[in-house]
Amino acid sequence: MKKSNRTPRSNKKSPRKSSNSGRRPWFWRFFFRASAIGLVLLAGWMIYLDAVVTSRFEGRRFEVPSRVYARPLELYDGAGISSGALERELQLSGFRKGDGDKAGSYRRNGGHFVISTRGFRFPDGEESRRKLALNIYGDRIRDFSVRSGDASPIVRLEPAQIGGIYPSHKEDRILVQLEEIPALLPTALMAVEDRNFYDHFGIAPLSIARAMLANIRAGQIVQGGSTLTQQLVKNFFLTRDQTLLRKGNEALMSILLELHYEKGDILETYLNEVYLGQAGTRSINGFGLASQFYFGESLKDLDVHQIALLIGMVKGPSYYNPRRHPERAMKRRNLVISEMEEAGLIESARAAQARGLPLGVSERPSYSENRYPAYIDLVRRHLARDYREADLQSEGLRIFTTLNPAIQYAAEFAVTDVLPRLSRGETRKALEAALVVTSKDSGEVLALVGGRDPNFAGFNRALDANRPIGSLIKPFIYLSALAQPERYTLITPVLDKAFTLEFDDGQRWQPKNYDEKERGEVQLHKALSHSYNLPAVRVGLDIGVNVVKETLQAFGVTSDISEYPSMLLGAVAMNPVTVAQMYQGLATSGFNTPLRTIREVTDANGEALTRYSLEVDQVADPVAVHLVQYAMQETMQEGTGKSAYYTVPDELALAGKTGTTDDGRDSWFAGFSGDLLAVAWVGRDDNGPTSLTGASGALPVWSRFMAQVPQHSLSPVVPDGVNYYWVNGERQALTREHCDNARLVPFISGSEPTQEVSCSGNLQRRIKGWFEGLFQ
Amino acid sequence: MNMCFLFRAGAVAALLTLAGCASSPGGSIYVPIGGEASRAPEPPRTTGESQEPKVWRKSEQPEVVEPAETAPDTSAPSYRDSGESLSPAALSLVREADSLLRQGDAPAAIARLERAQRIAPRSAEIYFKLSEAYVASKQLGSAEQFTLKGLSLAGNDTSLQRAGWMLLADIRRARGNVAGADQAEARAAAL
Repeated sequence: MKKSNRTPRSNKKSPRKSSNSGRRPWFWRFFFRASAIGLVLLAGWMIYLDAVVTSRFEGRRFEVPSRVYARPLELYDGAGISSGALERELQLSGFRKGDGDKAGSYRRNGGHFVISTRGFRFPDGEESRRKLALNIYGDRIRDFSVRSGDASPIVRLEPAQIGGIYPSHKEDRILVQLEEIPALLPTALMAVEDRNFYDHFGIAPLSIARAMLANIRAGQIVQGGSTLTQQLVKNFFLTRDQTLLRKGNEALMSILLELHYEKGDILETYLNEVYLGQAGTRSINGFGLASQFYFGESLKDLDVHQIALLIGMVKGPSYYNPRRHPERAMKRRNLVISEMEEAGLIESARAAQARGLPLGVSERPSYSENRYPAYIDLVRRHLARDYREADLQSEGLRIFTTLNPAIQYAAEFAVTDVLPRLSRGETRKALEAALVVTSKDSGEVLALVGGRDPNFAGFNRALDANRPIGSLIKPFIYLSALAQPERYTLITPVLDKAFTLEFDDGQRWQPKNYDEKERGEVQLHKALSHSYNLPAVRVGLDIGVNVVKETLQAFGVTSDISEYPSMLLGAVAMNPVTVAQMYQGLATSGFNTPLRTIREVTDANGEALTRYSLEVDQVADPVAVHLVQYAMQETMQEGTGKSAYYTVPDELALAGKTGTTDDGRDSWFAGFSGDLLAVAWVGRDDNGPTSLTGASGALPVWSRFMAQVPQHSLSPVVPDGVNYYWVNGERQALTREHCDNARLVPFISGSEPTQEVSCSGNLQRRIKGWFEGLFQ
Repeated sequence: MNMCFLFRAGAVAALLTLAGCASSPGGSIYVPIGGEASRAPEPPRTTGESQEPKVWRKSEQPEVVEPAETAPDTSAPSYRDSGESLSPAALSLVREADSLLRQGDAPAAIARLERAQRIAPRSAEIYFKLSEAYVASKQLGSAEQFTLKGLSLAGNDTSLQRAGWMLLADIRRARGNVAGADQAEARAAAL
């Protein structure tokens, strides 16, 4: 249906004066003119009302919010997931625990699952209904089989709906469509509010009489006389004053509405429009949002007694507010249940049982279905590049995101669990955090936490906290250096010694190590894994601040980067998502992978609108990146990231880097395994000092997260042009495996040391090595 | 695009499919949830199944040294000589993509391959296949990048490397980068 083009017309316009001046008596002339004016006024008024009511109705009717889906879970032999995570995932996707035979149900027996899927239409094809069986063993799926339905070694579950993009004006709402509403709701609503809804033409004088009768019989007001259409019109214009004029307008508009639209449309709009409560300044409109607000559940999941309560509240949402006036609400609810029973909508036994139940209202009001506000925020920003906000709010688009609920769960847990233990006193209360998790090789954002309370849809630190990154910059300094193998290798000695830099304007800069110590010469790999400042600045200045800057830009940093030497100590502000983007290239051997939160957008009918494909772009030589990855693994095993292994199993090989800024204002950790890249930030919104370092603030959050997720170790493939050698770093020479100070280090071909030292000392180790070699 | 190019792309594709089928199960170290299970939100072990074996798989890396050493404070940084092979699930998606490509539906093939990539993100074959699909949809720039990515994961698997370099040579030639093509061909020949 098209929008009405009619614009409201002024009803004050005078009619054209009749030039027909006869010789009738003045009275008739006056009467004629007055009625003409009256008629024109009325006609004008009707046209005006018509325009108002239709435009209002059309505007509402077509606002179908976008649905946002999590990534679908792929089930196949070898897929990594724990039993608990699979069960949670099933519940999130709307599966019910049951026999596992009915579509949409599952049966679990320890690690054994039987799942009957409902089937789902994905943008790239239909996933048909199937019955699946599988075992989970060591956090991996085994013995996966399709018991009925099309055979396939891999099956996608239907994705969980994780939220919607709703109109942003004050009246939040969760739009529901007639077909997804439990059938009991509209029938019961009609039984209580408007029995002849399908027969009247907007107003029902008879109903008013019947309502009065019913009220007298019940001794209290149990029925209202106005039709659902009238109530809808009243809701549209939100004036509750009981004047005759308003009543008249309401009646006229109701008739106009009925003239234009089908009953089903009116009913659906009513269900989405009716006022059902107040949350501060926001009104709770529609059954969809009310269900969320009062029960924390989807409308489609409500039980008889809950439906009855909502219907009962239509009459007076604040008078019957179940949180404030539970007894009143209970009485009203039971009355509605009785009406349902009387109308034959439910059986007596069911009614009696429902009447016996408590109200079932959730303690804390829940405002929206968006369980992951920070993540949805990022989705919105990505969408904003290609879609108009108005279309997202009203066109019913379907958005398939990359959110992994199991990973999100682990990420939220890591933040809420670790943060309160990090600090004491005032600082503890002020401490905030952000965590970004991406899939290492695809750049998909799997989870996002924007603050210590993951459910709070406020300031999103993962996106909006732009803070200096400290030592997170160092891998890029050394990468720039190692890309020049004729000058730098991992064992090149670099100077850990204080110096002063004098600028042209006479200002001086004196960088220091975090521990304020100086160690003289250290090998480059150790300088990086232990995050010494002085060598980093020296190397950075040696290869050029502009070269480091270019490296950062190649890795996807688009914000301004100053060319001051202080940049080499991370005086560059970035948000956690940008850091994740930047580290993606390090994690994948030099391939930039644009971060994505959306795989695909389809229209309401499932036709693809936009696909966001995997992209890779080689931005650095894999050989140099491999060397940096080596030092970042060393960071976890011997350097500043060592404490991760208090939490993470020893078997999980990781690479990472700490970052700390002055007075612990920012505590960072960025790191990756074979599958995941995660960036954690801990600090205060007011940029105040903390007692934390990267290792004592962000790292515990990061490792708590990593420890919860089954995943593959990092084990980078040695690229062409890199060879490993046993070297004695102190002597800058090749050596043998079991010699003193021997270390297996990768070199870009040709940059390895040329001379060899003979094996000195430690005879015992050599003999042991010899025997080991013998029995291998 | 000349016939020779198409022929060679086809040959590479066939080779890849073979490589995918022929490669033995990879030795990736998979680490289930571990550590302090007591403090984790969801103990991964299911109730009453204490007999469930732990499946810590040790890496096959040559440099994991001295397991019996008394001071095992440091284990060496990890690396591997070859990428991972395709799991049956990923392989089935690659096969679907193959048949879609034969029907000329490159976008659908790419969608399948991206699913496969998520399952097997460290398999060079998938990236070469993606490259093939991008060649079919005439996006040679993307094709080149995916070939490079595949090569970065080919490790010491000579047949995979050769396939990758030949594919790269053809793509570069089609893009008009003759020098780059020659270089890639030389790399393939040197293997």
